[in-house]
Amino acid sequence: MSPVKRMAGLKKNPTNDKTYWRSLNELAETPGFREFVKNEFPNNAFAMLQGPSRRKFLQLMGASFAFAGLSGCRWPKETIVPYSKRPEHRTPGVPQQYTTVLDQGGVANGLLITSYDGRPIKVEGNPDHPMGTGAADAYTQAAILELYDPDRLKTPLLLEQATEKPVAEKSPVHLEKTWDDFAATLQEIKTLLSEAQGEGFYLLSELASSPSVEALRTQLATSSPKAKWLTYEPLNCDAERQATIAAFGAPHRIQYNLKNASVVVSLDCDFFATHPQSLQLTRDFMDGRSMPEQGMNRLYVAESRYSITGSMADHRLALRSQEIEQLVLHLAAAIAGKAGAALPESYVVVRNALQPFEKPDRHAEWIEALAQDLVDHIGKGAVLAGPGQSVRVHALVLWINEILGNLAQTVNYIPIPPDSLAAQPSVQSIRTLVQDAKEKKIKTLLILGGDPLYTAPADLDLATALAGVSIIHLTPYKNHTSLRSQWVLPRSHFLEAWGDGVAYDGTVSIAQPLIAPLYESRSALELLSMLLDETPRTGYAIVRRDATEADWKKWLYQGFIEAAPVKPVLPPVKPGVIATLVRERENSPIPFSKDRLEVTFQPDAKLYDGRYGNNAWLQELPDPQTKITWDNAALISPQTAAELKIQTGDLIEIRDAQGKALEIVAYVQPGQADYSIALTLGYGQVLPHLSVGNQVGFNTYRLRTSSESSIRTNLTIQPLGKTYPLACTQDHHAIDEVGLAAQRQRLGQIVQEKTLDEYLHPHDDHHGHPPVTLWKEHEYNGHKWGMAIDLNRCNGCNACVVACQAENNIPVVGKQDVMNGREMHWIRIDRYYKGEPEDPTIVHQPMNCSHCENAPCEQVCPVAATVHSSEGLNTMVYNRCVGTRYCSNNCPFKVRRFNFFNYHKNLSETEKMLHNPEVTVRSRGVMEKCTYCVQRIETAKIQAKNEGRSIQDGEVVPACAQTCPTKAITFGDLNDPNSQVAKAHQNHRAYFLLNELNLKARTAYMARIRNLNPRLEKHESGQHA
Amino acid sequence: MDGGLYAAPRTIMNNYTFPIWTNFIKYGVGVVLAVVPLYAVALLYYTGSPRTTDVGYGPQQPIPYSHALHAGELGIDCRYCHNTVEKSAKAAIPPAQTCMNCHSMIRTESPKLIALRESFNTGMPIEWVRVHDLPDYVYFDHSAHVNRGVGCVSCHQRVDQMDLVFQAEPLSMGWCLDCHRNPEANLRPLDKITAMDWVPEEDPIELGKRLRIEYNINPPTDCSTCHR
Repeated sequence: MSPVKRMAGLKKNPTNDKTYWRSLNELAETPGFREFVKNEFPNNAFAMLQGPSRRKFLQLMGASFAFAGLSGCRWPKETIVPYSKRPEHRTPGVPQQYTTVLDQGGVANGLLITSYDGRPIKVEGNPDHPMGTGAADAYTQAAILELYDPDRLKTPLLLEQATEKPVAEKSPVHLEKTWDDFAATLQEIKTLLSEAQGEGFYLLSELASSPSVEALRTQLATSSPKAKWLTYEPLNCDAERQATIAAFGAPHRIQYNLKNASVVVSLDCDFFATHPQSLQLTRDFMDGRSMPEQGMNRLYVAESRYSITGSMADHRLALRSQEIEQLVLHLAAAIAGKAGAALPESYVVVRNALQPFEKPDRHAEWIEALAQDLVDHIGKGAVLAGPGQSVRVHALVLWINEILGNLAQTVNYIPIPPDSLAAQPSVQSIRTLVQDAKEKKIKTLLILGGDPLYTAPADLDLATALAGVSIIHLTPYKNHTSLRSQWVLPRSHFLEAWGDGVAYDGTVSIAQPLIAPLYESRSALELLSMLLDETPRTGYAIVRRDATEADWKKWLYQGFIEAAPVKPVLPPVKPGVIATLVRERENSPIPFSKDRLEVTFQPDAKLYDGRYGNNAWLQELPDPQTKITWDNAALISPQTAAELKIQTGDLIEIRDAQGKALEIVAYVQPGQADYSIALTLGYGQVLPHLSVGNQVGFNTYRLRTSSESSIRTNLTIQPLGKTYPLACTQDHHAIDEVGLAAQRQRLGQIVQEKTLDEYLHPHDDHHGHPPVTLWKEHEYNGHKWGMAIDLNRCNGCNACVVACQAENNIPVVGKQDVMNGREMHWIRIDRYYKGEPEDPTIVHQPMNCSHCENAPCEQVCPVAATVHSSEGLNTMVYNRCVGTRYCSNNCPFKVRRFNFFNYHKNLSETEKMLHNPEVTVRSRGVMEKCTYCVQRIETAKIQAKNEGRSIQDGEVVPACAQTCPTKAITFGDLNDPNSQVAKAHQNHRAYFLLNELNLKARTAYMARIRNLNPRLEKHESGQHA
Repeated sequence: MDGGLYAAPRTIMNNYTFPIWTNFIKYGVGVVLAVVPLYAVALLYYTGSPRTTDVGYGPQQPIPYSHALHAGELGIDCRYCHNTVEKSAKAAIPPAQTCMNCHSMIRTESPKLIALRESFNTGMPIEWVRVHDLPDYVYFDHSAHVNRGVGCVSCHQRVDQMDLVFQAEPLSMGWCLDCHRNPEANLRPLDKITAMDWVPEEDPIELGKRLRIEYNINPPTDCSTCHR
């Protein structure tokens, strides 16, 4: 027996081939899991309310009764405040949409913002944008919460003058000031810029694609040539950029076109989640697999951490990130050998550099099959390398794509101006800064956004280097950098300021404000103009420049500036580059073991690099893979964890060779590469003035160094003998409470999955037939709303969860209540593993209310608070609900959520502005659940009727379907045989959950199809036959 | 034998007989039977009373604006001021600018209009007191009604005769449902929507039946029609 099995006490079920499981606890059937599933509402509400919290609860109850007595008889007097002069085209009560862009990490995605009576309340993708898919990722959707965050900086802050102690030693105190107070400092800088040509003036910015910022940078360079403008992004594409410089002689960005791709290979590249082009890549890739009958693309993924890209893979290889380089060399050699590449020197060098793998058979076979598949699809393949991989890997990938004839087909290169911000390597900026600070060259350092003192590589020790430097920090929140800054200036939110940005394909867009700044804030453009211009220009003037009225209006209306598409160039890899890079490789294989571990640093699926640390929506979002909320963890493979005697929830210490240590909680992640520990960035910020983002998780930047910013090797782990509570939702709302054997059988029906071969040549009919009923079924003559969710498209990215949260005023409950199983998300994404814990496959299944026609919840409600509408919606009437929770008990899908507390009670006035007025804000003691976005249905119905027409297919789109980057969710009228959703329900892959209970669910799921490579099929066979 | 209610020794048999205190339940039941009907009547009376539903509620407004003068005597159409009523859920209170279309020339010095002129000049809104106030969980849509033959007067009564607007109908859920179940009595031709004094020349029910077919009116009575 292998150590893994001994550790977890795993039982195999030899009788059933569909061995789906949600967590290692479930697989091992631990008592904790059983307890959680048994109790519909685990840790009973009152049992948790011991001591002070129980007293508080009673106080709340008492207070509510008192209010009920006061306010019960008379309605409160309300006033109506109309405009004094109503703006043109503004109809109170009718939401309006405006285009804008949000720049994250130097790439601006086109957006469409919904504004309700002047308050922006919802972010969507702009479907008209050339890059646009109409989708927006979880980060972007949640960014609107920051606009209303009461923790935002409201006024400029000035560091209290330290009298004796140096700033670095004492905890600094800032005083509230005004922008007028800042004028003197501003004048000093202006003098510095004009008289000393800017010598000693340093500017550190985040990567910004804005042409206006670029223009101001040029202005600075012209007027003050000695001033230095540096840029730093903790997560960047520098390796890719360096590789293009090495290969082509100039920096380029790689643009993939997966529409035409038949074989896609990801090498440690989570291109569904964190790639700057991810939304477009996701949509294009998924379009290639929605109709398996007509052919389907194939995805190979080799990676260390189980990413959501990996979960969509047809073949996934768990491989340490460090060894990806070895894999690429093998792949390049195999492909070059097969394709007869005309680069003999490189080929020979690559061949000579090959080293055997740890599991030679499996790896060799995998590479051989992959190479053959790629060569069979010349011009229809695409190989992508992750941002954490070395320049060498990226260069080899450029070469591979070239040999495979993918250029112009699936891969294009867009040149980047060599002197632009995007061409600057990030880590180099920090090195320069540290060096110049040590040499006392820096007089004033202006930092635009970001938190470099928190995110900079730990070994460079930026904080100490900058101790004596006068820093001015423009930032939305007071963060680690602000604490050390002389001046902290509030930065406007992107919905409050004019700006512009460039999309990944080069399309320029204007960012227009939707609301006047809520506080005394300025945008980066405005601050720069204050520094550089004689009379400061407004953001509007800076962005608009001399655009004509007609052009300007058009740009704002459509959300982008029309231009001839940036012409991709297709330079060949310069001869000799590959050979040189490969020769430089240190040729000693690194033996990994439990005492020589690899650690990888990854962007977090929720906080990215930490910039969304104070965003409660993102903090409470379950990680797509681990389902952890409010924390980050060190992901360890089951095998390694067993060797190190570590279990999920144990505190461990990761120590590098220099003795630097990080204390963090461990999480045993099935499918993680052995001896590879995955860490995500952005947690562990110590900012006591923030109400959400203070001391959440563990600061992994501490281990990140300038030379090894993505992959570190030679680390050790020591269990600390302590445990740490993780709020992990993976076992919450398990659909079944029958025994595991029965459950597995049923799970085979809940998650349906086949290989393409099985699907095209079915042996038996798996669909099953719904039971025959004895009485006349209810008829739906008008609309009959239904949904279809395509598991073959869903990659579990979480965008729908945040979209739903924003649309439906869903509260955040906090870590403690998530641990009690009380998270309120109306749509959750169940993640099912299948196969052995070492190397499982994954299916994501979004789960919201299925609006069963024979809904079990309705049958048990004693007060008829949940009833069926004439259009088949399972409606929830909040003002009837008395909170018995019987419905939730009886719901087989566990999609009902109960308001244990009045979670909206303590919201600030600004946060209340974010509420969608079309949806009731629920109070304590009320059950709630997905409504199929009934407010959107009603709005569409009323609008159609007012215009005297019927509703068109696609007119009613729930928030989740609207934002889905993969287009996995379809919604519409099942009575319209031509509607998308009716067709989806008729699709051969469609099935209904728990059909044998005659629930008649309105949500159909479409089975997941895996397109296995016949050459590798016998490897996968262990998992499904 | 002395020992009160629980004097009987607890034997096995006693477990199968009711304890003596249960004798008192019958009095309790009597009290409940007497109180519950009283309570029910009181509750129904209270919840159904005009005081609870706010019928007749007509608060003083910051400006003594008279609908009787403007809509009645002068005959200004409702939609001149409430011009969003056909497009939006809300029949918006007009901005000060709308008032000033006339009052920049008429009664420019009137002391009653000081608040209006101040609002127009400063841009600060006039705070009107809401008269027809539905609960926050009710999503009523004006446009859905006025575009389908339900006139203003059906819910607001003769506003053209009110000096001070007051709530004339209960606006309760039962009241809404009465019409949603039998809309015929309240349907009128679309060109008569704002006509306050219009009376049909024929039998209103007959006309209503005809219009119902003509306008394809099927008022839903689902919870989700109004509650979201």
